[in-house]
Amino acid sequence: MKKLLLMTLVLGLTACSMLMPKKAEAVTNINGTVESRCTVNTDTSGYYGNPNAYTLTTLPASAGQVPIVRVDTSLANAYKAQISYPTSFSSSPSLSDTVVWTGAVAVAQTSSTDMSGYQAASTTADGGAMRIYELVHAGATWFSVSSVATYGGGQQKAFPGGSYSAVVTAECIAQ
Amino acid sequence: MIKPLILWVLLLLPFCSFSNYYTFGYSGNAAFYGNTWQMTTPILGITTEEGMDISGVIYNYKAVKEVEDDFTVTVQNEDIDGGYIFQETDDWSGKHGMRIQKLIPMNYTPIEQFGKGSIETTGTGSIEDASVLYIYRFDGCRNPQNNENCPGYVPPMPVIPKIEIYDALEDDAVDDATKETDSDLYDKEEEESEQDEKEEEDEDRLELAMAASENALTIANDISQASLLQTMNAATNVKSYYVAQVPGGVYRESISLDGGKIVDNRNALRSLAQDNLMDDMIQEQYK
Repeated sequence: MKKLLLMTLVLGLTACSMLMPKKAEAVTNINGTVESRCTVNTDTSGYYGNPNAYTLTTLPASAGQVPIVRVDTSLANAYKAQISYPTSFSSSPSLSDTVVWTGAVAVAQTSSTDMSGYQAASTTADGGAMRIYELVHAGATWFSVSSVATYGGGQQKAFPGGSYSAVVTAECIAQ
Repeated sequence: MIKPLILWVLLLLPFCSFSNYYTFGYSGNAAFYGNTWQMTTPILGITTEEGMDISGVIYNYKAVKEVEDDFTVTVQNEDIDGGYIFQETDDWSGKHGMRIQKLIPMNYTPIEQFGKGSIETTGTGSIEDASVLYIYRFDGCRNPQNNENCPGYVPPMPVIPKIEIYDALEDDAVDDATKETDSDLYDKEEEESEQDEKEEEDEDRLELAMAASENALTIANDISQASLLQTMNAATNVKSYYVAQVPGGVYRESISLDGGKIVDNRNALRSLAQDNLMDDMIQEQYK
């Protein structure tokens, strides 16, 4: 009888232990946001001049305007700026021939003399269209981006009449 | 619920109107005329009266130099109490020359505190296209007299001109004139002078009368001559005679004398040969 009771007790405890969860669990999220210490803004919008039928250029001498991009960082040695001149039109009339793109990215001005070496220390990528600057000092840097588009692949064909737009890409990327 | 809100709005309204007296902005380029400047309205293009506070400076220039050269650029403003209100130095030594732009924030500082501003350089190099802008806040009611809408404004009193009162008793000329003199001599002189004055007055009156009559005659003569000329001109206007036409053509002699001889009236000849009748007629007019 005692054995029976003992067995019943053991079986009961076993069943209880099987029914009860082995451990308590909870999933708690931890959310957070990172506010970039680097901002990119358009300082001066650019536009193309049309000195002849087959050229669009931002050169002021040809009635164009070079766009200026401003990059601000409040943290030194934390970000790099990647700035590219356009290599295609974002909108244009239908073009049946090739467009040759040239351009240049340069440091136009800075907020510190320490940044005067940015241009010399910069590197290029994407076939030269992109220039990368290590932002090793906190402060503001203004970059000018010139662009020239020639139609006809060297044959100097006239651009079809219409409106043309191209995009300069400027990014601030954490190192 | 609405009434308390309206009351709150009414209570806060005066504070809102205070904020309207602030205006914010930027000055003109202080370095436009050169690398030293005074904080005056013609140079800055903003008022420099009481209530103008400066809260920052933005400067921009292009440093032209070789990398290996030592070169520093200092942008500064003197403090009228001595020293400098701000002084920012850019050391370009061993660096590439390029364009730089800086913002120098500062506490609101009355513009009256600012002395001469300048951009000074040392070493080898130069600067181009310098620009210095002051960020300002103008409190239009710091001096309530700036604006009649400011709290505490007192209408100015009109300027009353100072009038100097003439005191005849202090006039030397009056003193001389009122000095005691010999009364007999004074009376005699007075009589003589009165007589002279009377004679002069008579002469003047006569001259005036003669001149008046002469003038009247001259005027009348002019008028009569003018009238005569006008009449003559009217008479010589014979144009109407040229254009007048007499109807009827030619009046021919219609009387004819038969017999061919007219005998003189002897009685009439006899009567006319005597002077009696003529004499009678002449005498008749004296009766």
